[in-house]
Amino acid sequence: MHTEARFKRRRKFSLLDTLRFIILAIGAVAMLFPLLWMVTIALKGNNDVFKIPPEWFPRELHWSNFVTGTKEINFWQTFGNSMFIAVMCTIGQIVSSVLVGYGLARLNFPGRKLWFSLFVGSLMLPGFVGMIPLFNLYTELGWYDTWLPIIVPAFFGNATFSFLYVQYLRTISVSFDEAAKIDGASDFYILTKVLVPMTMPVIMTMVIFSFQGAWNQYLEPLIYIIDPSKWTLALAMASYKGTYATAWNLFMAADLIYILPMLLIFFFGQKYFMQGLGSLNSASLK
Amino acid sequence: MRVSKRKLHGWAKGYLFILPSIIGFSVFVAYPLLSSMYYALTEWSGYDTPKFVGFDNFKYMFAEDPAFWPSVRATLYFVLMSVPLSLILGLLLAMLLNKSLPGIKWFRTIYYLPTVVPSIASLTLWLFIYQPQYGLANSLLRLLGLPEGTWLTSEKTALPSLVLIGLWQVGSGVIIFLSGLQSVPQELYEAAEVDGAVRWRMALHITVPMITPILFLQLILGIIGAFQAFNQVQVLTGGGPNFSTSLLNFKIYNDAFGGRMFGYAIAEVWVLFVIIMIFTALTYRYSNRFVYYESDNGR
Repeated sequence: MHTEARFKRRRKFSLLDTLRFIILAIGAVAMLFPLLWMVTIALKGNNDVFKIPPEWFPRELHWSNFVTGTKEINFWQTFGNSMFIAVMCTIGQIVSSVLVGYGLARLNFPGRKLWFSLFVGSLMLPGFVGMIPLFNLYTELGWYDTWLPIIVPAFFGNATFSFLYVQYLRTISVSFDEAAKIDGASDFYILTKVLVPMTMPVIMTMVIFSFQGAWNQYLEPLIYIIDPSKWTLALAMASYKGTYATAWNLFMAADLIYILPMLLIFFFGQKYFMQGLGSLNSASLK
Repeated sequence: MRVSKRKLHGWAKGYLFILPSIIGFSVFVAYPLLSSMYYALTEWSGYDTPKFVGFDNFKYMFAEDPAFWPSVRATLYFVLMSVPLSLILGLLLAMLLNKSLPGIKWFRTIYYLPTVVPSIASLTLWLFIYQPQYGLANSLLRLLGLPEGTWLTSEKTALPSLVLIGLWQVGSGVIIFLSGLQSVPQELYEAAEVDGAVRWRMALHITVPMITPILFLQLILGIIGAFQAFNQVQVLTGGGPNFSTSLLNFKIYNDAFGGRMFGYAIAEVWVLFVIIMIFTALTYRYSNRFVYYESDNGR
């Protein structure tokens, strides 16, 4: 039966599949082209960038762009700022969402359903609705021009991740909790020692998406952070695009280093990206 | 007595675990939502105390502000272009990718790759791509012997150029649709094949109905997301030329933090919020005509 099906598929690798392949290949080139162009610019000498007709491949590779490009704009300190903020946000979101997810999925208390629907409902609320009153609140707290408005909220639960964790916990039998409870384990022990190890795949997914979100965010830093020494990379790259108007190669080199951590995470954690998007969609159907 | 005490203890424990989100919800969702209802009716620069002015903000918005209606128009255009296009393109690509072909894993990776690039990195890249003289876009057109494009510099093409960037990052939608397609029971296709169904009819009558719930959710999230677009405008066009890309969220940001008109900006926030709610409600309302749920009997 199986071989028959395979045979059938072989046979059908015909005109239609060739067509499919060609369309996909053309699309793939279109997807990759901007990034490849970026890499070639980053490796070009300054004068080679502005040539008409353009040289598609750099004649000599200027690896030094990656050094020069990052020197002028205080790049590495900014990189460190971004990294610190992203790591703190990730820790905050994961810890709080796991706690909340456990409470909502495993503990019984009045009002649980109400809170659950409030949290899930808040997902539908556009983010900008709170922007200005919160700006005012943080300013009054003296948090203006600090990282606190970006980091602190991460520790107070993330609706998407809590929801995701609740859905995942529901697929794990309660008998594990009960067995541990009979042995006298506390809820905190059950969560951290029994359930967290069992839910590592979804936690990894959450870590990746949380880090990605924090590494990408632009509007919040734009509103709150003024002092260039506290800038994140998103802010720096957006405002240095003008400074670099005549040195595209240096800009592209710096921009590539900004992308690099995400690329590394993607290539090593590809499985979790795909799983995560899949589970996000199936979770939302329930 | 002892039992109820233990029960109480259990309740307290539950609330302790969800405390972070209760605080988060109250401070970051409920408080700004409620307080902005009042702020929308005030004149407020952010430095002084808000002064109650009734509906003056809304009167100014609808009748006098020369930038408001162009912004609404640009926003609606943007949403009506970008949401359907990325849904259709995402679904088509997912269908093409949902089959074993040589190198299919590579194709999936490549299509997802652009979404890994941070928003600001990709937007600054596209700024250079659209540069008229040396940018990639016009270089390619010249290479192919085609007339150059105006991209961000013309009123007509600026907004579609922003939409195009979004289409480059269609990958996460593709993966979501792909996982939906892979959960369609194979028996359905086999049964249809036995009945002698043609391939495009299978796509139309099996695949599409089976994934309408995912399509619907992506539609809702896409609408909410597209109405909030901001980064593209801030990095690439600054709202120009001639307001053609002045999306509402960008105008709100500008009025609040550029013009220091907090009260007015919050009034605009409410208008945008209501527009989003109307769109979402309409989508929900008409969804039962096309969304298929397995538990239902038929459509």
